Amino acid sequence: MNSDPVSLNKQDKAYVLHSRPYKNTSMIIEVLTREHGRMTLVAKGAKRAGSPFQGCLELFTPIFIAWGGRSEMKTLYKAEVISGSGNLAGDLIFTGFYLNELIMYLLHKHEAHAALFDAYQDCLNNLQAGEDTELVLRYFELRLLNELGYGVSLDHELQTGEPVQADKQYTYNLEAGISSDTSSDSAVLNISGDTLLALSAGEISTERQKSEAKRLLRSILEYHLEGRPIKTRELFTQKKKFPLSH
Amino acid sequence: MSPLIEQLISAFKCLPGVGPKSAQRMAYYLLERDKQGALELAQSLQMAVEKIGHCDMCRAFTEDERCEICSNTARHSNQLCIVETPADILAIEQSTDYKGLYFVLMGHLSPLDGMGPSEIGLDILAKRLAEESINEIILATNTTVEGEATAHYIAEMVAGEDIKVTRIAHGVPIGGELEYVNGSTLSHAFSGRREV
Repeated sequence: MNSDPVSLNKQDKAYVLHSRPYKNTSMIIEVLTREHGRMTLVAKGAKRAGSPFQGCLELFTPIFIAWGGRSEMKTLYKAEVISGSGNLAGDLIFTGFYLNELIMYLLHKHEAHAALFDAYQDCLNNLQAGEDTELVLRYFELRLLNELGYGVSLDHELQTGEPVQADKQYTYNLEAGISSDTSSDSAVLNISGDTLLALSAGEISTERQKSEAKRLLRSILEYHLEGRPIKTRELFTQKKKFPLSH
Repeated sequence: MSPLIEQLISAFKCLPGVGPKSAQRMAYYLLERDKQGALELAQSLQMAVEKIGHCDMCRAFTEDERCEICSNTARHSNQLCIVETPADILAIEQSTDYKGLYFVLMGHLSPLDGMGPSEIGLDILAKRLAEESINEIILATNTTVEGEATAHYIAEMVAGEDIKVTRIAHGVPIGGELEYVNGSTLSHAFSGRREV
């Protein structure tokens, strides 16, 4: 039996997706790592004044971590902020909350998806760089779905295999996929060919394409979320519900 | 094991950080050595749970309709300090000379914990802001990402009203040496520098 805990240590790049207090001064954190997937770690004494973890376990901050231990829940031994990284501010934090909800609900624990980690990192960097939030989100959602094996073929009709044409109208539903058969009356979503091609090529440009892509991805995600509501949406919708006027 | 003991042990497990082992130790200790203490604990728990509610103004815990701070007429009713927990009020009261009122969110915005705007009482806050003549809001949420998000959300909610919104400063701790201050704190301290 290997009794040396040090040799069981692992290390990886990570982002904290969620943290909650544990005992008096500790925290239980949920991290997304690049090579080891999503997992839960306990950060002992993280809330104590002068803890080396202080300031390192914030959301949306890339860190380098080492963990180990023999119990089910591993212990965080080390965390270091990867330098040169800023953080999200203002409304972008809410956007970040949305990303974290998607990952927590859709990604199983201990399933490593390096490409998903990279997509998350790119997404945060692009948001921070001030790129169009809607577009950054759409491309992330698409990469997330592809990486989890829920990808949708956007440039070909699912049933006929015909390539999608920019000037035609299409419908989408879960079983039939993308189809040019617009006669069906069941619950389908209408989407134009140019949006499908633009989304697939990462070249969405017009407002119409943006809103069509948003509806398409939302409907696919909703299916995989199995009815689980995205709480972050309230942060955008409830704002109007608090009138302060006398 | 007798059903009553089992019930007691599983009742102790509702305490944070108490697992089966600690729960069993606590149960046996009380039964063996401190029955009087156990009775007092039971009574205090019963009383507290029945009587203590939230202050109808600031949401802090109190057994009255309105907590001591909110009902103190000597305090400045035009300043409102927004904090995450009742413990934060205690900390501010003990170490600052703040004389205004408080509003306790009982948490922060965190969708993954199911905490949205109404869960942290922002509908109650909006009502207070509309009804009272508050002219300054001090956002004293934690300097975590969630605390920042909460502060930002409230600031946006109040934007356009005739209310001054301030955020507590964050930076280098008193007696702290720059070399040992973590990077994000130092960068905040720099961007929030002021003229002397």
